[in-house]
Amino acid sequence: MNSIILSHMVLPRMTGPLLAASMAVTIPIVGHAQQTRTASASVTAAQAPSAASAAQATAGAPQSLAAAQGPATAATAAQPPQGGLHFEMNPPPIAPGPWTGKRLPDGQPDVGGDWSNTAGNHNNFTDPQGGIPNDPQDRGRPVKPRASRAQSRVSDPPDGELPYLPWARAKQLEFQNGFFNNTKPEYIEPLARCAPAGVPKSFYWHGYEIRQYPGYVVFLFNSGSRIIHLDNQQHLPAAISLWQGDSRGHWEGNTLVVDVSNLNSKARLGRTGDFTTENVHVVERYIFDNGNKRYDYVATFTDPTAFSRPFTVTIPARRWTVDDKPNGWHYEVPLANNPGKERIGDHLERICVENNGGFGRVAVQNNAQNKK
Amino acid sequence: MMSHLGSASRCATRWRGLLVAAILVSPAVLAETGTAAGNGAAGTGTQPGIVKSAHNAGLKSGKIPRSADGRPDFSGIWQTTSAADYDLEPHSGRKDAPPGIGIVEGGVIPYTPEALATKHKNFEARAEDDPRLKCWTLGTPRGIYYPEPFQIFQRPQDVTVFFEFGHSVRTIHTDGTLHPIDNDQEFWLGDSRGHWEGDTLVVDVTDFNDQTWLSRAGDFHDEALHVVERWTLIDANTIDYQATLEDPKIYSKPWKIEVFLYRHREPNFELIENYCYTLDYDKYYPVPKE
Repeated sequence: MNSIILSHMVLPRMTGPLLAASMAVTIPIVGHAQQTRTASASVTAAQAPSAASAAQATAGAPQSLAAAQGPATAATAAQPPQGGLHFEMNPPPIAPGPWTGKRLPDGQPDVGGDWSNTAGNHNNFTDPQGGIPNDPQDRGRPVKPRASRAQSRVSDPPDGELPYLPWARAKQLEFQNGFFNNTKPEYIEPLARCAPAGVPKSFYWHGYEIRQYPGYVVFLFNSGSRIIHLDNQQHLPAAISLWQGDSRGHWEGNTLVVDVSNLNSKARLGRTGDFTTENVHVVERYIFDNGNKRYDYVATFTDPTAFSRPFTVTIPARRWTVDDKPNGWHYEVPLANNPGKERIGDHLERICVENNGGFGRVAVQNNAQNKK
Repeated sequence: MMSHLGSASRCATRWRGLLVAAILVSPAVLAETGTAAGNGAAGTGTQPGIVKSAHNAGLKSGKIPRSADGRPDFSGIWQTTSAADYDLEPHSGRKDAPPGIGIVEGGVIPYTPEALATKHKNFEARAEDDPRLKCWTLGTPRGIYYPEPFQIFQRPQDVTVFFEFGHSVRTIHTDGTLHPIDNDQEFWLGDSRGHWEGDTLVVDVTDFNDQTWLSRAGDFHDEALHVVERWTLIDANTIDYQATLEDPKIYSKPWKIEVFLYRHREPNFELIENYCYTLDYDKYYPVPKE
């Protein structure tokens, strides 16, 4: 019934004895941090096996789904895929321009609702459908040639690579290599410990919701939330450092422009070890299609501490509605209990749990042993 | 599901005597009370209740902000000034708590004898066992009177309560939808369905887990907790927040709390995210400090 339970978000937080007890029922989830499942989650999974397998497929093998769908042409990519779990290749970019769609009473373009990215998940930042590097598990699905997978989320530099300085590239590779052999705490993906996914990973980690209010755009992610202030106020003092940063935005036609500072940059960009530092400054552009079914997230990251030049991240996203089936990843919104009346998506609580299982727990144990 | 609201009616009946007492105070109070009495804002406070009721009624004055649909508009950043989170019941100052007059109707939470023993155990272990110390989501109603601000965002179809502590988000659905059919679900903040009774937002909250406490003093509940909240703006900058709690295995009868919430009006005041559950490990990121 409630597909959200299939993600790790609403399982009870587990620490100490509870966590130890749960180890016995740890089950591997393909392509995802192993999760500890409680009885209640298992029941739910049993009730919705299709959603469970869908979630696994989504997390584990975007490339095979892309293969099933075939390379998207410009013509087909303009319309979001209907239902199911689809991963696109390279949809045509949405042009900035005037907004001709519906507006809210306060004048903002009405873009509220449920959204998710269309090209893979957080497994791999620069090769969204390429899987996690060094994955020791046989996924049973061949990875397609690079040219047949979605392009890098790094849209500039043109080679799709992050322009790391040498020290930062070395660190990124160290984090990447430690991902499946996490003998140091920093090899654990913070998200696996329930930390917010941060900027920009929140946009390719499960579906999410946008709610709008006079003066605000609010993002409710599967792990953490963001309040975008539209009030033209100054950023918070530099001494304040935040997982989701401090966001000040305004609308330019169909584009929400957001200046993000005060980032602690503790969230990784993916399971590839990619990271920025606390000196990063981000300018985001959310460019909405006037059909209101898609938008492009286009963000410029400037971080001279770790990178030789600014880089741009592009993440296409599509809207999901009550006409779509909940699928345990992109769209986790069941129909509300509203007998005989309008079909309304039910936005249930998304409270993160202490998901210190899988990758996280191994590292914690290894560290404990190393200290002995 | 909504039949749970019946319990609120039962409580209202129990407090009718207090309402009569309030009326006796002064005809002027009666006139002021008007809507408030109808909304259950009267008949509050500790026994004998007269003074507090009259006081509240007198405070209900001035214009309140309203949304385009005419409903009271709770948008803004709110916080209690009470010591409720330290202890819901009347208490003297302790090393770990300022004194407080308490916010429980009648002063005492009507625990069953077994539950009272657990509460005492919790109290003794409060320095280690309070889930707040792990930054776990505080639950309902604790998040409301916890001494850290929360922001309300309001649309006709829902009221979003955005807590600074843990940055957790609670949605009160006001679109006429009912509690989920699947009642095996357990939520940290419960499942909240609200409706308007005059200018009061009445919220029925069910489907809780048993992981949260109600205060630092070890007050607790189990999964059967059922909360009915009443949110009323008594002026532009003050919310009269009331909640009735029932949980048959833990309490011998439903009981009620009332606390005022004040609007933050400082220039540029805003929520600052507080994902405090990350503090034990955030030093490792993005790159461990050498």
